[in-house]
Amino acid sequence: MLLADEVATHHPVLSANPYQPHLARIVRIHKMVENNYLFTLRFAEDHLARAFRHQPGQFIMLSVPGVGEMPISVSSSPSRPEVLELCVRRVGRVTNALYRMRTNDVVGVRGPYGNGYPMQEIMGNDLLLAAGGLGMAPLRSLLWYALDHRDKFHNITLMYGAKRPDDMLFREELLALVDRTDINCLLTVDADDSGTWKNHVGLLPTLFDHAKIDPLRTYAAVCGPPVVYKFILQRLLDLGFPKNRILMSLERRMKCGVGKCGHCSIGYKYTCLQGPIFTYWDAINLPEMI
Amino acid sequence: MSKPTVGIFGLTGCAGDQLVILNCEDRLLDIVALIDIRDFLMASSENDEGCPLDIALVEGAVLSRRDADKLRAIRQRSKILVALGTCAVWGGVAAMDRGKDRARLLEEVYGEIGLTYDSSPAQALHEVVKVDLGIAGCPIEKEHFIAAVAALLNGDTPLYPEYPVCTECRMRENNCLLIERGELCCGPITAGGCEARCPELRVPCVGCRGPAGDTNVPSFVAMLEQKGFDRQQLAARLRTFAPEGVAQ
Amino acid sequence: MKILKLPKEKLDLFASVVQQFGELHAPVEQDGKYVFKRLMRWSDARLEYDRTILPPKKYFLPPRETLFRYRPGEGFVPHTEGLDQRIILFGVHACDVYAINILDRVFAGKYPDPYYQARRKHIAIIGIDCSPDKHCFCRSMRADFVDHGFDLFFYDTGDYYQALVGTALGDDMVLATGSLFEPVDGTDIDDYKRRSWNKRRAFQLEVEIRDLPEIFEMEYQSEIWEELGEKCLSCGSCSMVCPTCYCYDVADHVELGSRAGRRARSWDSCLFASHALVASGENFRGPRASRIKFRFYHKQRGFVAEYGRPSCVGCGRCISACPVGIDVVQVIDRLRRVQDVASR
Ligand SMILES: Cc1cc2nc3c(=O)[nH]c(=O)nc-3n(C[C@H](O)[C@H](O)[C@H](O)COP(=O)(O)OP(=O)(O)OC[C@H]3O[C@@H](n4cnc5c(N)ncnc54)[C@H](O)[C@@H]3O)c2cc1C
Ligand code: SF4
Ligand code: SF4
Ligand code: SF4
Ligand code: SF4
Ligand code: FES
Repeated sequence: MLLADEVATHHPVLSANPYQPHLARIVRIHKMVENNYLFTLRFAEDHLARAFRHQPGQFIMLSVPGVGEMPISVSSSPSRPEVLELCVRRVGRVTNALYRMRTNDVVGVRGPYGNGYPMQEIMGNDLLLAAGGLGMAPLRSLLWYALDHRDKFHNITLMYGAKRPDDMLFREELLALVDRTDINCLLTVDADDSGTWKNHVGLLPTLFDHAKIDPLRTYAAVCGPPVVYKFILQRLLDLGFPKNRILMSLERRMKCGVGKCGHCSIGYKYTCLQGPIFTYWDAINLPEMI
Repeated sequence: MSKPTVGIFGLTGCAGDQLVILNCEDRLLDIVALIDIRDFLMASSENDEGCPLDIALVEGAVLSRRDADKLRAIRQRSKILVALGTCAVWGGVAAMDRGKDRARLLEEVYGEIGLTYDSSPAQALHEVVKVDLGIAGCPIEKEHFIAAVAALLNGDTPLYPEYPVCTECRMRENNCLLIERGELCCGPITAGGCEARCPELRVPCVGCRGPAGDTNVPSFVAMLEQKGFDRQQLAARLRTFAPEGVAQ
Repeated sequence: MKILKLPKEKLDLFASVVQQFGELHAPVEQDGKYVFKRLMRWSDARLEYDRTILPPKKYFLPPRETLFRYRPGEGFVPHTEGLDQRIILFGVHACDVYAINILDRVFAGKYPDPYYQARRKHIAIIGIDCSPDKHCFCRSMRADFVDHGFDLFFYDTGDYYQALVGTALGDDMVLATGSLFEPVDGTDIDDYKRRSWNKRRAFQLEVEIRDLPEIFEMEYQSEIWEELGEKCLSCGSCSMVCPTCYCYDVADHVELGSRAGRRARSWDSCLFASHALVASGENFRGPRASRIKFRFYHKQRGFVAEYGRPSCVGCGRCISACPVGIDVVQVIDRLRRVQDVASR
C-alpha cells in the first residue's frame, strides 16, 4: 500500500496505518443534480496526488473531520490522475456535513479500497455498462477508462436511465458521447416534462432494443437501485450472458474499508475486500447478497 | 459570526436536566462563551422572552394545556428544538399512569375538584411538536449535553448509542445482576449511554434512559416470568419510564 | 519446542521475577466470577478460575479506543498512547490463546491493524491448562490445546507445572529465574499424558463441527432461526464476551467550539439493528431472526470459508452471558438432528 508506506516514517509504534486519512482539498464543487454534487479533490501533499492510483470500481474512505467517515466510489477515471472526482448524494450525517463545505476546505481520504472491475479480464472484449439513477457514479470511472484506452476494448455500449432529464448525472458529458461512433451511448428518461429531451424516453430495459450485444464476448457492468438489478439482470440472463460476466457493484454499511470492522459482510465475504464488484454468480451463491 | 441564541426551558419535570447543565462546572464557561443564552428561567432573572432562538432545549413532559401552549410557542421561535431528558423524549415518569382513566386519577388524587384542573395525559414533546434531537437520560449525561452543543454548533447532530445498557455493562465487565442474582434488571431493553452506571454499582437498571433502539419486550417479559417475577410487578416497572416503548 | 518443568511451590517466585518483563495481570475474583486485572499482590491471582467475564481480547482490542486526534491544520494524528505498554497476561486458557491466534489473522492480512499489532507485540501471554466445566466445548472446536501464540504455557501435572516455551521472550523469562525450572524426564511425560487423557474425558459438552458449514447451508431456511429471533433480546452480550467477535463501530467525537476532535472505535455486534443498516434506510439484516442467524453463520460457517476453521473456540462465554439462554451447542445440535421429513 503506497499511502500506508508514507506514514511509516512518522510513527514508530504504528509502522503502517491503514486507517490514516490523508488531507485533501476540495478544489471544485459542482451541482449536477439536486442533492447530487460532484466534489473534486486534490491531496494536500503533492506526492500523494501524483502517487494515488485506483482501479475503476474502487472506492475511498472519505472523512469529514469532526463528523465521520464513509465509503465513496471514485467517479473519475485512473486515466485522468492527480484529482479525484466524487459524486456524492446527500443522505445523512456525513454527507450533510460534506455539503456544508466550501471550495478549499479540507477533508480526509484513504484508499483506494475494494477489488474494482477486473480490467485485465474485460480488456479485449465488448463492454456493456448499464446504470440506473445514481448507479452512474461508480460506472463513470469505468466508462472513461475504457474510452481513454479505446483500443483495448471492442464494442462499448452505455445504457443509462434516469427519472427525468434533470436527474441525469453527468448529463452534459454523456450527451456529448451520443454522437460519437466509438461508443453506443444510449440515454433514456422515464418521462420528459421539459420537452427538450432529444434522446430516448422509456424505462431502462427498453434500451436493449437499440443495442447490439453479443452475450458471449461481452462483460456487463451493472449498477443502480434494486429495481435496476432486477430488470437488467433478467434481461442479461435471457440474452444468455454467462453468470460470471455480469458484474455488479454492491453497497453495504462500511466503517473500516479494510476487512476489519465486520459491517460490510455478506454471508462470508467482505464487500470492502472481495467487493464491491461481484459477479452475478457470486451474488446468487451468497445469502443476503441482493 | 454572532453567537447562536439558545433558550433552556422546563415543562412538567424535575428540572434535573437543567441542573445537569448548570453542573457542567468546568465546561460551563466554555459553553457560555460559545452561545448566547437568552432564555433560561432557572439560572437567570433577565430573560429575553420571545426573541428568535437558534436552539431551544426543552425539559420535562407535556402534562397540561399550558405546557402544550408553551411548547408550541417555543417551537415557533426556534430553529432547532432539543428534547432534554427521558421525560421530554419519552414522556418519562410522568407518563407512568397514562394508561389509566385520567379523570378517575385526578379524582382519586385531588377529590372532586381535580376534575377541573388543567391536566392532560402526559405526552413526550414529539407527540406535540416536531423535535429535532432527543437526549435521553434521567437526568441526562453531562457528556451527552456537551456533545450535543458541540455538534449543533457545527451544524451536525450528535450520535448516541442505540444499543442497550447490557452492551456497556459487559464492556465494563460487570457481574450480571439478572443472570447471576436473578434481579429485575432492565438493562437488556434500556438504551445505553450511561456506561451502565447502576449495574456498575451493583444496582439493577430501572430503565431510566428509556427504551433501546431495538427492543424485544415480549421475550424479556417471558424470561422474567420464567424467573418467577409476577406479571403485575413487571408491568409497573416497565411502564415507569417509557409508556410506548415497553408496556405490553 | 523447549519443554521444562517448574515445581509448583516456586510459582510465586517465578511470578515475582517475571514482573521485570511487564505489568502482571491475571484472573482475580469478582463477586464469584473472574476478570483479568492488574495484580496488586500475587495472592489475588486465581489460576484455578473457570472463565473470565471478558476474554483477553480486551487487552488487544479494547472496548473503546481512540484511533486519531484531529486538529485543523495538523490533520489526523494517530493516537499511540499506551500501545507500547508492557503487560504480562498470566493464566490464559488454551481456548483464549487460540482465540487470540484467530484475532491475529483477522487483524493481519492485506491491511494489518497497527493498533492491534502494537499491543500484541507488547503483551506477553503465559498460558495455563484448565479443566472443562459444563459450558466448555473447546475440545469439539479443536481449541483445547494450542501450539503457538503464547510465550509460555503451563500444564499442571501434579507437583509441577510443565512449561512449553513458545517464544524467545518466554525463554528469557525462564532464564531470568536462574534455576527455578528443571528439565523434564520420562515420568514427567507420562504425567503429562495422564493429565491430557483426564482432561479429554472431563468434557461434558460435545458438538461435531465437520461438515457443519454444509449443514448450515442446508438449514439456511430452518425455522430455528425464527424461533431464536423471537427469543433474542439484541442485548449484544454474546458478542461483547466472545473472544473472537471483533466487529467494531467508528465514530468521531468533536470538541466543543471547534472541528477538532478524536476518532474512536468501540465494540459492536451484528445483533444490533444498525449493523447492516445503510443510509437509504435499507437494512440487509433487518429482522432479528436474520441477525441471530448471521451471528451463528459467521462464526460457524462464514469464518470457515475465509480462514479454514470456525471462529468459535468453544469457551462457553456466550452461553453463560445470554439472558434468554440461547446456547450455541444446543443450536448446533438442533441443526444436526435428523428430522422426520414428513413432519417438516
Ligand atoms: C463501496 C461503496 C461505494 C459508494 N459510493 C458512493 C458514491 O459514489 N456516492 C454516494 O453518494 N454514495 C456512495 N456510497 C454510499 C455512501 O457510503 C453512503 O451514502 C454514506 O455512507 C452515507 O453516510 P451518511 O453519514 O451521510 O449517512 P448516515 O445514514 O448518517 O450514515 C452513518 C454512517 O453509516 C455508514 N453508512 C450509511 N449508509 C451507508 C451505505 N449506503 N454504504 C456504506 N456505509 C454506509 C457510514 O459509515 C456512514 O458514515 C457508497 C457505498 C459503498 C459501500
Ligand atoms: S446487569 Fe443488567 S445491564 Fe448488566 S448485563 Fe446484566 S442485565 Fe444487562
Ligand atoms: S461463540 Fe460463544 S463459545 Fe464460541 S468462542 Fe464465542 S463466546 Fe465462546
Ligand atoms: S459473530 Fe457477529 S459480532 Fe461476532 S465477529 Fe461475527 S459478525 Fe461480528
Ligand atoms: S446474549 Fe442472547 S439475547 Fe443477548 S444478543 Fe446474544 S443471543 Fe441475543
Ligand atoms: S467495511 Fe469494515 S469490514 Fe468491510
